Amino acid sequence: MFTLIWFEMIKRHYLVWIALLLVGTSCENLLFDEDLASTSPHENFDYLWKECHEKYSYFELKGIDWNEVKTEYRNQLYVGMSEDSLFNVMGAMLTELKDDHANLISNFKTSFFGVEYQAQKNFDWRIIVDRYINPNFLISGSFSHNFIAGHQIGYIRLPTFSQQINPESLDYILDRYRDTEGLILDIRDNGGGAIANVFTILSRFVDTEQLVYYSRIKAGPEPNNFSPVKGAYVQPYSGIRYSKKVVVLTDRGTYSSGSLLALATKALPNMSLIGDTTGGGLGIPNGGQLPNGWRYRFSITQTLSLDQSEKFERGVPADLPVNLDWNDLTTDEILEAAIKEIL
Amino acid sequence: MKAITLIHSHFQWMCTILGVVFSVAIHTTGWAQNKPTDQETESHQKGRPEYIVISAGYNAASFRDFATSPLFYSGSAVYTSLAHTDIDLVRESSFTASYSTGNFVADFNETDLKSKVHTFSLNFLELFQLQSLSSSSFNIKLGGQFNSTMNIRNNEKLLNNSEGVDLISTLFASAKGTLDISRKKTTEKKFLFIRYTAKKRVRKLSYTLNVGCINSSYRNGFAYTSSSAPINDDAFFSDYEFRIFRGFRINSALNYTLFMENKNAIQFSYLWDAYRTGGHHDNFEMAAHTIKCSLLFGLK
Repeated sequence: MFTLIWFEMIKRHYLVWIALLLVGTSCENLLFDEDLASTSPHENFDYLWKECHEKYSYFELKGIDWNEVKTEYRNQLYVGMSEDSLFNVMGAMLTELKDDHANLISNFKTSFFGVEYQAQKNFDWRIIVDRYINPNFLISGSFSHNFIAGHQIGYIRLPTFSQQINPESLDYILDRYRDTEGLILDIRDNGGGAIANVFTILSRFVDTEQLVYYSRIKAGPEPNNFSPVKGAYVQPYSGIRYSKKVVVLTDRGTYSSGSLLALATKALPNMSLIGDTTGGGLGIPNGGQLPNGWRYRFSITQTLSLDQSEKFERGVPADLPVNLDWNDLTTDEILEAAIKEIL
Repeated sequence: MKAITLIHSHFQWMCTILGVVFSVAIHTTGWAQNKPTDQETESHQKGRPEYIVISAGYNAASFRDFATSPLFYSGSAVYTSLAHTDIDLVRESSFTASYSTGNFVADFNETDLKSKVHTFSLNFLELFQLQSLSSSSFNIKLGGQFNSTMNIRNNEKLLNNSEGVDLISTLFASAKGTLDISRKKTTEKKFLFIRYTAKKRVRKLSYTLNVGCINSSYRNGFAYTSSSAPINDDAFFSDYEFRIFRGFRINSALNYTLFMENKNAIQFSYLWDAYRTGGHHDNFEMAAHTIKCSLLFGLK
């Protein structure tokens, strides 16, 4: 009897049941955590500070007391502050990491450390063109190149690792300079880009598999919680390679992938570094978003040398330190040192 | 017999309410029903109708991936699915493959980060009639469902965390109620001043509720960024972690099916799916509302 009444109710009022079921079982807000979208200065500051605290990879190496940084900068916050003022405080906090892989990005500004400005500039392209490779130099993909030193050396300029290096460009370049005494690969002022390009280049200068550095990534929120180290290996390219001396030119503007290439040369006997210490940037940055929609990134890996030291995050030192003399714009002292090294 | 209730840490109250509803339904129907006869059951099993179901629809969803952002991304997606279903009063088996794709935006504080999401899903459902509660006009089935859903997300403005793949696999406890709302005979009707003839039609209204019992996820690890890039390794999933017995998932389907005389059918559905992977650093939450239209092509 009650069953029949129950079914009759459902049949007659099924629209009501549908509505009840929809209301009762479509409320995902009951399953989700609270909405964290907020423009509150304190909430956004705390969120960014905590993310860095748990995931940034170089606090110990750089001797940064992140709790002290929090105290210093959080005191500068106040309710009702403008977005520009909030950005300045949070951006300045990230700058304390002294890392150009640490940036705060809003829709009106981007913060940066500017490691290349911590030392003198050591590169001027016009000196290279006017005094060494002349204006009819060649361009192959991302590379600009020409003979120098009486056709004894091939000079190759790579300003960025951002564009994918195609094998045909390298084939052409290495074939053109195959009879030289050595190559000069100039990566001064190279801010980095795709890491794969580093290995594409290095593969042309090794004849057997070579371990060049190690890497590890943050694996937990504790300061020293890292994954086991993994080795980075360069495999020899199956086509055209170059086995003679290669000198790589670096300066403070050599950053990120440029620093990785510079670090790798330490493991390769036919390659050496001349110029200034690189800017560092060996940690790979992540990417994320704050409660107010701004974005951030900072380093979450460590790159270690073959003796498993992370010290080169401060910069990969040149084997032969040389600076440019800005009083004499007719000569590139770093390039001259490289020519002398090869010849 | 009591309805099956699932007690879960964060959603105990909801499950309890659902359990109460089922318990009341069972108690009031325990001793008065019109059971199908043994002959009817046997004939159903021999000639169980089989359908290929092709669906297309529209999906409104929102998600939040705490590993990269505390903001909800909302948007819409185009939905399509292909299914094979064997169904009669006694038993239902269904295998479904679906795909949806769309753009999702976190529209807060004049930021317009966009995430492109592709969702692939495989679903297997097996239900059996609960004879003690069923009648010729109202059929209840219980059983289980296994679903594996993969989201592939791309948000370029998240820099090295732009790519994300989530694989959510869940074993559900399922319950389905089907109400026969057929028009048994042709009648004359009037809508406002318009007279029309309403022909007899076989129509069914069904509601399926699936509650996750065993939930699992395969997602990026703590740092989210891949550790393979610095060492020039192509292992995209090298830091992915498999977690089981964590998180929660629930979904439901409301279907209105109109059967044709040629053994085919057309179906209008509203689907709701919500899940979270659990955890603190990397909780992923997503909910989707889908409206779809399906063509059921009868194979026998």
